[in-house]
Amino acid sequence: MKRVNFYYSTKLTFDDYVHNHSFALRIMPPETDTQHILSCSLNISPFVPTQQTVDAFGNNVTAGYMRDDHRFLDYEIKGSAEVDHTKHRLDLLPCYFYQSQYTKPDDGLRSFYDSIKGKCTGTASDKAEYFCNILSDTIEYKKGFTDTTTTAAQAFALNKGVCQDFSHILISLLRMDGIAARYIAGLAFCDGETHSWVEYWTGDHWEGIDPANNCPVSDDYLVISQGRDFRDCAIDRGVMFGKYTKQLQLVRSVLT
Amino acid sequence: MTQQKQFNKAVGNASEINELLRRYGVKFGIYKDGVFNEQFFPFDPIPRVISAEDFQSMEKGLVQRVNALNEFLFDIYHEKKIVRDGIIPEDFIYISKGYLAECEGITPKNKVYSHISGIDLVQAKDGEWYILEDNLRIPSGASYPLIARELTRIAAPQAFSENHIVDNRGYAELLKETMEYSNCGGIRAILTPGRYNAAYFEHSYLAEHTGSVLVQNDELFVEDNILYQRTYSGSKTRIGVLYRRIADEYLDPLTFLPESLIGIPNLMEAYRSGNVGIVNAPGNGVADDKGIYYFVPKMIKYYLGEEPILKNAPTYLPFYDEDMKYVMDNLEKLVIKDVAEAGGYGVVFGSDLTKEKLEEFRKTIIAEPRRFIAQEVIDFLDLPILDNGETVMRKADLRAFVLSGEKTKVWASGLTRFSRNPDSFVVNSSQGGGFKDTWVLSR
Repeated sequence: MKRVNFYYSTKLTFDDYVHNHSFALRIMPPETDTQHILSCSLNISPFVPTQQTVDAFGNNVTAGYMRDDHRFLDYEIKGSAEVDHTKHRLDLLPCYFYQSQYTKPDDGLRSFYDSIKGKCTGTASDKAEYFCNILSDTIEYKKGFTDTTTTAAQAFALNKGVCQDFSHILISLLRMDGIAARYIAGLAFCDGETHSWVEYWTGDHWEGIDPANNCPVSDDYLVISQGRDFRDCAIDRGVMFGKYTKQLQLVRSVLT
Repeated sequence: MTQQKQFNKAVGNASEINELLRRYGVKFGIYKDGVFNEQFFPFDPIPRVISAEDFQSMEKGLVQRVNALNEFLFDIYHEKKIVRDGIIPEDFIYISKGYLAECEGITPKNKVYSHISGIDLVQAKDGEWYILEDNLRIPSGASYPLIARELTRIAAPQAFSENHIVDNRGYAELLKETMEYSNCGGIRAILTPGRYNAAYFEHSYLAEHTGSVLVQNDELFVEDNILYQRTYSGSKTRIGVLYRRIADEYLDPLTFLPESLIGIPNLMEAYRSGNVGIVNAPGNGVADDKGIYYFVPKMIKYYLGEEPILKNAPTYLPFYDEDMKYVMDNLEKLVIKDVAEAGGYGVVFGSDLTKEKLEEFRKTIIAEPRRFIAQEVIDFLDLPILDNGETVMRKADLRAFVLSGEKTKVWASGLTRFSRNPDSFVVNSSQGGGFKDTWVLSR
């Protein structure tokens, strides 16, 4: 068990006024069997009333609507939590067994799976570790080649990617193997941005694994959101009106 | 025979009624090769007549079916007992495009998922009714028989004074009741994607007749998880129930397709919080999937402990080895449906295929067994229609409308669609068919 302090902020700036701006943030870490939230405060600027709900995947959703003109939206969370990975999460949904929008394999990724599947037998954990080892040999961790719309199949074809891409490819492989897997967005390795990793179902509980770093998940990982893939976990989604042409997003995160 | 006389009287006014329909703008839109066209939905004046006795048993069967489907939807988005108990293989649920994981755990007001169900039936030559498919998402078509009846009453009033026909004009009242039962506090609204939608005529007609406001997304917004309509004076009105005529995937760009321009951001948050009713519930597509159709009689037994009153058309699932063998051996006499398609698309009659095409199609089915269902071709009862002054016999089906409010009720009318092509079994309006009024006799 470890006590961690977390901080995350985003500054969204537009080059012209926007209005009728609806947003949904998945930013408040959920209370789960492996993490107990001791405190968490959310600040949004400019001031806007918000509502909290919990979505189908167990994420805290903060929804808001700003009718008036504004040129920025800033939000930050800070708080502390107790993380304990000796405990287990059990919240399984059947959809985690099936490929989703980002993880659906193409012929390339499917034949890659076919070429490696025979080489590993054993438990779900053995397979997850094996796939992770292979990925760290096959895929190069490199920024700038993929973005938030890149699918597992596309990243695999590029042989490059960031944590999001590693997660999608690993999930795709696990699901092809009949193992339920989900995408996790969270804070770890305090590199200033959010991190992503994977949880797979061992047969009776979830276990975390970090494919981008090829290591198991420890108490230094704080879950912010989870889902079938990146789409369910996007930290912010929004729709707004206005003549702006550019938006600038600055993100900062700290986990200590 | 008085009935025949009355038909003839109505028949005599066919061109007059079609002229009135044109004047009222009773149209439906159709896309072909990316071009939008509005067409008149040709009306045939000879009504389909359903006896009181026949209707009673059909009504019982439809209520039973829709109640089971509503139970199924609640189960699938909560405990999934029917999968756990092995009645339906889980692949059929979770691979279905209509299953929306985003709707897990949501309970709509009063547990009603399918408020308006359009159940398509055909009558076989022996008089037995068979279910062809269930439409639980946004079934359209109720307004056509409504307005046709209105106009026929003007053109041939004697037909209605001399026959004992159940008045079908109560549909709007029934719809209003149904919407009210799912109202979470506020006004009733019908959401249309706009005038280029195939069923725009119907959206405006139903709004007018149920006393609901007809809205488009740009006048709606969600604030504090409550759905509001913006008014021109700058004030806002709360919407308690939204009869939406847009597909699930476009409903909320912050939950579903981010590129949707016809949705309402955060509508799903308002819905999840129980602040607005959505008619029909998002996620219903999992229950009207053509693959799930096969399991509906099993659902009736499972959830209600009853024997199904209405029969399915004999259906085979190539997913099961035994059925696959039957389908391979009998492909030339079966009708094959692609489970992902709707509106009469993706329907192939084995008898229309050449030897080579049959062989090719067999391979496709073997490669993707989950994608298809196969059905015996039912020998439909042909109905008389008027074609250039002559009575000819054509294939027809019936879309029955079942409304689930406090009680499940069947509208004593329906949309009878027929094929104008003598060789075709496909009656969908998008495939160029026409429609008739459906008379349910009161005795």
